[in-house]
Parts: sequence; C-alpha cells; structure tokens
Amino acid sequence: MKSSNLSKTAAILSLLLLSTGVLSACSANSESNKSTSSPAGSNAVSESNGEVSGDKEPLGKYDKALTIRFARDVDNDMQDNIIPKTPGETVADNRWLKAYSEKLGIDVKYDWTVKGGDAYTQKINVTLASGEIPDMLRVTGSQMKQLADADMIEDLTPYWDAYASDLLKESYAVQGPAALNATLIDGKMMGMGPAEVYGDGTFLWLRTDWLENLGIEAPKTMDDVLAISKAFTTQDPDKNNVNDTYGLAMTKDLYGGAMGLEGFFTGYHAYPNMWIEDGSGNLVWGSTLPEVKEALKALSTMYKDGEIDKEFGVKDGGKVAETIAAGKVGMEFGAQWNPMYPLISNYQNDPTANWEGYALVSIDGKPALSPQNFGASEFWVVRKGFSNPEALIKMFNLHMELNWGKTGDFDHYYMPAANDSVGVWKYSPVQPYPPFKNLNAFKEIAAARSNQTLDQLTGEAKSIQNNIKAFENGDTSQWGWPKIYGENGVYRHSVDYVANDQFKLESFAGSPTKTMAEKQSTLKSLEKEVFVKLIMGAAPIDEFDKFVENWNKLGGADMTKEVNEWYASVKQ
Amino acid sequence: MLRKRWTREIPLHLIILPGFLFLIVFSYLPIGGIIIAFQKFIPAKGLFGDQQWVGLSNFQYVLELPNFSSIMWNTFYIAVMKIILGLFVPIVIAILLNEVKHAGMKRGVQTAIYLPHFLSWVVLGGIFIEILSPTDGLVNKVIQLFGFEPIFFLGDNKWFPITMILSDSWKEFGYGTIIYLAAITGINPDLYEAAQIDGANRWKQTLNVTLPGMKMVIVLLMVLNLGNLLNAGFDQIFNMYSPMVYESGDILDTFVYRIGLLDAQFGIATAVGLFKSVVALILVSVSYFIAYKVADYRIF
Repeated sequence: MKSSNLSKTAAILSLLLLSTGVLSACSANSESNKSTSSPAGSNAVSESNGEVSGDKEPLGKYDKALTIRFARDVDNDMQDNIIPKTPGETVADNRWLKAYSEKLGIDVKYDWTVKGGDAYTQKINVTLASGEIPDMLRVTGSQMKQLADADMIEDLTPYWDAYASDLLKESYAVQGPAALNATLIDGKMMGMGPAEVYGDGTFLWLRTDWLENLGIEAPKTMDDVLAISKAFTTQDPDKNNVNDTYGLAMTKDLYGGAMGLEGFFTGYHAYPNMWIEDGSGNLVWGSTLPEVKEALKALSTMYKDGEIDKEFGVKDGGKVAETIAAGKVGMEFGAQWNPMYPLISNYQNDPTANWEGYALVSIDGKPALSPQNFGASEFWVVRKGFSNPEALIKMFNLHMELNWGKTGDFDHYYMPAANDSVGVWKYSPVQPYPPFKNLNAFKEIAAARSNQTLDQLTGEAKSIQNNIKAFENGDTSQWGWPKIYGENGVYRHSVDYVANDQFKLESFAGSPTKTMAEKQSTLKSLEKEVFVKLIMGAAPIDEFDKFVENWNKLGGADMTKEVNEWYASVKQ
Repeated sequence: MLRKRWTREIPLHLIILPGFLFLIVFSYLPIGGIIIAFQKFIPAKGLFGDQQWVGLSNFQYVLELPNFSSIMWNTFYIAVMKIILGLFVPIVIAILLNEVKHAGMKRGVQTAIYLPHFLSWVVLGGIFIEILSPTDGLVNKVIQLFGFEPIFFLGDNKWFPITMILSDSWKEFGYGTIIYLAAITGINPDLYEAAQIDGANRWKQTLNVTLPGMKMVIVLLMVLNLGNLLNAGFDQIFNMYSPMVYESGDILDTFVYRIGLLDAQFGIATAVGLFKSVVALILVSVSYFIAYKVADYRIF
C-alpha cells in the first residue's frame, strides 16, 4: 500500500515536472528577448568621455569618439529592398553610420534590433520594465510620458536652443508651434518628434482602366463613389466573365495611410480617430459623433452587398495588399505614396491595371476636407545621465543637412540612383525631414515642366524627375513616380487642398494626457471592435450609441476633459 | 529501520531537487510581482520603485469593461469543452486501438495521430487560416461541393469557439491516446481471462475490466486538467483570432496579452492574471476534493 502511494507520488511529480518544463520553455523565450547588454559597462564608457570638448557648433565634431547605444526596428523595406540593393552595407555598418562617425565623431552602436514595428513597441515596453534603456531610443508618446514621470530621460530644452541648426529650426516652424509643443511635458522638451506633424492629403485611388471598361466618369460626389463601388462589384469590370471583383479595399485596422477609411468617412463629414473642434470651441473625439454612424451605415450596406471583402475583419494591410495585387478590387483611400505600396504590385502582375489618385468628395455640396491626424506619435529620447544629450540634436542636424542642406548630397544619402533609388535614409537611426518636402518637390517639378527647365532641377526634385524619366524610358519598377509627381500626379489635388483650405487638422497636438497614456489604446481597440462588427452587420447600427456611452464611461469622458484643459491652455 | 530506508532513498529524493529549484525560481519568486495588480504601475520606475498604490481600482476597472463577462464565459466554455473532448476522444480511441490485433497497423495509426502534437500553433494557425478561408479555403470548397453556403470558421462568432475546440482536440488526442494505451497495457491479463470464463463478451470486458483498470489514470488526468481549466489555450487562439471574434473567442490570456504587452497597462493586466490564478486555485482545490470523495483518490 505504502509503496503504491509512493509510486503514485512519483508519477504525479514527474507529470508536474513535465508541465513546468513546458511552461519554462515559454518563459525562456521571453527571457531571451531581454537585452543582454550590460548597461553598467556602457555607462562607464560614455561617462569616461565625460568632458567632450565644448564644441557648440551644430555640426561640430567631437574630439574623442562618442559612443551612443541605440535600439531600432528593421522593417520589410529595409530587409527586402534596401539591404540587398546596397552591397556591403548592413544595419550596423552603412553610409549613414559612417557619416555620423566621420562628420560628428559619433559611433552608433545598437543594443538590439528587431524585425517589425509591433515587435519593437513590445520590446520597448519590456525594456522599460527592466529599467535598463539604451542611451537614445525611439518611443511612443505614452512611453515618453512614462519615462519622463519616472525621471529616466533628459530634458532637452537647453540643448535645443544651443545646438539646433538654422535649417532644423526652420523646418520645425513650418507647421506652427505644434511640432515642438508635442514634445513638451510640464513645459520641458523631453524628446524630439517629427517636424512634419500633419501630412499633405488623403486621396481616393481608383482603377481607371476599370472605369473606362464600364464607361463611368470620375466621381464628383459620395453617391458617385458608392455607384462606382457597386459597378466594380456587379458589372465585371475586369471583363473576365467571372463575378470575382469587389469595390472597396479596407483592412481590419480601419484606419491608415493605405487602405484606410478616413477618406471615406470624410465624405460624410465624419472624422473618426482624431480630436476635432465640435463647433463651440470644445474638443471632441471624432469617432463618437453622429456623422460617423451615418458613414458606418453606408459601409454596412456595402458589406451586405458584397462590395467589401467578406473577410476584411481578419485581414491586415499585407493581406489586403495581396488582393489588390491580384486585381480583385478597384478602390481604396490613402496617402500620396500609395502607388509605391500597395498599388504597384497590381501593375506588376497586370500591366493593364492603371490606378489614379482623385480628390476626396462629399455626400452634399460642401467640399470634403482631407483629414490629417496629428502625426507626432513617436519621439526620440535620451537616457537620464547620458554624458552628451546634445548629440541627439546634432544627429538631427546632420541628417537634415546631408539631405536638404546646402552642403548635402541627396543622391547619396536619401534615395541613390546608383542603388535603384531605395530609401537608404532608413539606415540612419534618426530620420527628421522638412514638412511639405514632397509637395514642394512636386511644385518645383511642375514649374520646371511648364518652363521646359527639367534638366536644371536639384536635390529631391531632381531624383524624382530622374525616376519619372526612367519610367518613360521603360523601367517599369518606377511606375509609381509619375502617379505621384507627374503631370497628372496626385499632388495636384494637394495643391488644391492647400489653396482652398481643405485640410481638417487634428486639434489636439500635445503629449498624451494622464488618462490618454493609460486608456487610449484600450479605447481605440474597443472602437475598432465595435465598428468592425457594425460594418459586418453582426450588431444593429444602434449599437453605436452604446459604444459612445461605453467609451465615455471607460475613460473617454476624462480624456475629453483633459484634452479641453490642454486646449484652453494653448489657446491663450 | 525507518532511518535506514531514509538514507537509502536520499539519491531518489535528490532527483526531485532540480524540479523544486525550478519551481521556486520560476513559479514562486515571480508571485511577488502580483503587487503590481494593486498599483498604478509605471514600468520605468521599476518593480521596487516609488509606485502609486490604488487599492482595488484595477480590478474594478476590469470588471466594468463591457466585454469582461464574455471573456470569462469564453475562457470557461472553451476550456471545459476542450477538457471533455480531451478526455473522451483519447479514451475511445485507445480502447479501439487496443482491439486492433495487427501490430504494424496499430503502431502506424498511433504514430500518425501523435504527429500533430509536435507542430506548434504558430505553424498550424497559419495552415488553418488558409484551409478554413471562406473564399478559397479547401474545407469550404468541399462544403460548397455539397451545395452548402461557405462557413467563415475563423470570423463567425458562432463557429469560432467550435473550431478552436475541434482543432485542439484533433491536435492533442494522439498524445492522450498513448497515455491511456499505456494504462490499458498495465491491466492484469488474468482479469480478462476470468471475465471470459464468466461469459463476458468484448463489450462487457471493456466495460467491466478495461475502464475500471484505467480509472486511476483518467481521474489523475482529469484533476490535472481541472487545474488548467482557465487556460483555454493562448497559443492556439492568439494565432487564429481577430477583432471580429473577440466576442466569442477572447480568453483571459489573450486579453492579458493585449492589455499588458500591447497597451502597456501592466497594473490592469496583472489584476486579470491574479484574478485568474485565484479562480484556478479554487477550482483545483474543489476538483481535488471531489476526486477524493468520489474516487478515493489522493496525491499525498
């Protein structure tokens, strides 16, 4: 009896051990994700540099090499295009890191690199929890606030005034004070955000070859858009005698610079996913307004009629891009760069596929406004105690100078023609750029085209014009450039947007408020969940009102209050 | 006498030592982390930093979330169904396989059904997403051949939990079968002979000899499974779900992952995790008690 009990005990213990073994395999994974570097050691290195010469020049070189530890993500473009087309260069050793080393005396070292943006955010969250952060890193607004609250990052205010180059300061002033305001926490500049905080337009992209096949005119109102979507679904626009196409491409994320719905919503004068003025001088979260419900109703009708992919709710951008590439869909809303991604893949599979960008339209006579989210969502911060916080600003200076400055070499540092015009600028750990640079390039090219002085272009405009010419000479990989910058390029609508004051800019342009830092992402997922359900008809449209109620209850009301306090403070 | 036995068994007890150390380091020390559930945790300040205490407000927030009750229900429903199928299917298959006399056939089947156990859900999830797609998935092509409407297995709240339960039991039943086959092998053949002499046919033998012989292992696995009751299978669901099926497929673990790692709301995520652990502790205690009452089964 006793011995049988013993063997039973042994059996159970061994089973327990087995199961802990499985568990440990999981935890071992997450452990190995953690940074393996020893920050203490590297601190010693940077501190030993201690008194680096007090060179106050924005582009002055340090006497003694200054080592800065960074962390970064590597995106698909880098992996698939940039690295293969720049032989001899890697993430850790390339022309940009050489430039920082040769011109500024700054040696960039990466503590870790990960593939993909989501993985980067998660890894930063883990790194924050471990308390051991690199010398400089890119974080989200709420991460920046957390770090500032914990007193783990440097106040950059004095360094900005002393070190920022004129070119950098000018760029940050182009879109008003918002770009710098976004970095302020309690009045101190805790990081460096982008200089361009509002984009230059959202557009409607349509397959014109399908329009021609069906003999349909370009859309002038939202009703035209709905009619085109219906025709693309039911009238066999690709003439293959199979009912296999649909109207509108959209992803499960609903919003975004490609295959997003912002441009659709604006047709109903609805502006979800941004803070806007409600008409009485107060800010409200656009997704909670009744116009949104109208647009959702229209989308749910389209879904019911098969004009939207039945499976959109499980498809991310990459998956939807595949259906575009396969020539199954003829309409999507997005930014000016959409011909580069995802539309060119359609052309590569089917040379008759022709996409063109159109201005946004609205449901009534009132002009549609192009919604522009406040884009300062990521910031560069410097670890508290790092010996040379100004180095970050000097790197920003150099990046700006080498690409857009007088001594710059755009063709070497941005999109070198010698390397198939891939974006080697991504090799740089910091990537500021002047606002409206693309729109300005378009204007330069357009002016040169009408003056017949295309051969006198310089800088970015010259590179772009070379690409357009390459396409005209038969290089099909440059298909996107004339779509954006050519005579009928999409930027001509942007010029109109600017001239007619047709931008709807997000009004909240500060760093995340207290409640926002905690609850906004939960509320945003709630929003997506409910909207996807409403579009798919899985819930009656009146669920929208319940969503608004829940949204307010779960922190939205607090957020609105804080946002309005902020708004009152900047209006004076 | 007792002392002599003790010294003789020291090496045996030492075998357990690494396991105990493992449990202490990876299972008991991290328990300290549950204090985060009562804090407004700012990770940058560190675990022992100057965090703000908020009492039970994290728990309150979680309970107020409109989807929390459905998350609880999903976790419970999916886990219970998986446990039931995970017990029932392998027992049946084991008994049937035991009747197969052709050794090669028996071993072949055993190996074939055991294989999926070794594939990770990351791989299988991708495969399932492809073959279950309503527009061009293999399964729906077959369904359409028979004139039915295609089913959106991974995007329809009616079908998602069922798909999860069935695919999990498909993946794991081979593994369970082996344990039960081993239990059957351990049954004294004399009992079958005696039953035959008493006139029991194959079915009666199964009912009166095989099943009672397996009873201990069945109860053991059931008790161990009940401890896992609130683990409805993170890997599997995480790799196959989407916002469309949060309503029917979101379980406590996927919810903790989203809140904790994606939204960085560590306090709330820990609160959910702690909540889950407390419920699991109660369930294990209850099931252990029941096993003792009903089957006179005790671990120690």
